[in-house]
Amino acid sequence: MTTRTLSIKKRGFSFEVFMWAFTRFTVIAMYGLILAGILGALSLSAQTGANFGDILYWAFFPNMAENPLGQVWMVILAKLMVIAFVMTACGHGVHGVLEIWDDYVTSESARRWARNIVITYAILASIVAIYIILSA
Amino acid sequence: MGLKRNVSLSAALGYKGQGPYLTYILHRIGGSALFILFTVYILALLGVDSMHALLNNWLFQVVFLAFGLFHAINGLRITILDLSPKLIEHFRTAINIEWVAYVLIAGFALFVILRNAFGG
Repeated sequence: MTTRTLSIKKRGFSFEVFMWAFTRFTVIAMYGLILAGILGALSLSAQTGANFGDILYWAFFPNMAENPLGQVWMVILAKLMVIAFVMTACGHGVHGVLEIWDDYVTSESARRWARNIVITYAILASIVAIYIILSA
Repeated sequence: MGLKRNVSLSAALGYKGQGPYLTYILHRIGGSALFILFTVYILALLGVDSMHALLNNWLFQVVFLAFGLFHAINGLRITILDLSPKLIEHFRTAINIEWVAYVLIAGFALFVILRNAFGG
């Protein structure tokens, strides 16, 4: 099998090319955040004596669990990382869901509506998550 | 993109693409499962008790870990092959390595969930 690659110039610049690149970059960011999050939570659990699982649970559900971290900088860092993860996951998911939808739904208006609904949902869900994580 | 898709899901699963096609379709199922998980997470954050109970259910955790881990590991393979096009020639080897990694990681994760669920 021979390798077939197309330069960025020949690919042109359309919504699909932009979303393909966006999906790749967001997934790389997610892998980085997962790795940094696990290492950070392990480091914090070693420093504070808090349980690793408790730290991750509080980080994702700060309004439902007691804060196991003492220092303010740890709290701010953990919240920023969770917000970054939620936003990249949301951005990554939008393109995936629309790609699957486009493969099974053939009507142009249904595709347009799905695009508007999913992007609006992703923005609203991100805003809700950011608000709750920051305010808890 | 064409506006007609005359291949049913059952016919698609019988497509001779075999291993690579299986990873392709499982990646889509995993992505859809994670989208549902994201919605459940947002609703749980908003304080919907039933969603929180769902997240704590061992069966829910097993299903989403099985599909979510596959999506993450397969996505890593796709990203590596995308960033290093010369490796595409070895994509079948990459898929085999991916399956080994998936079985080991998912097996361990499922063992932990089931042990916690049944108090072993």
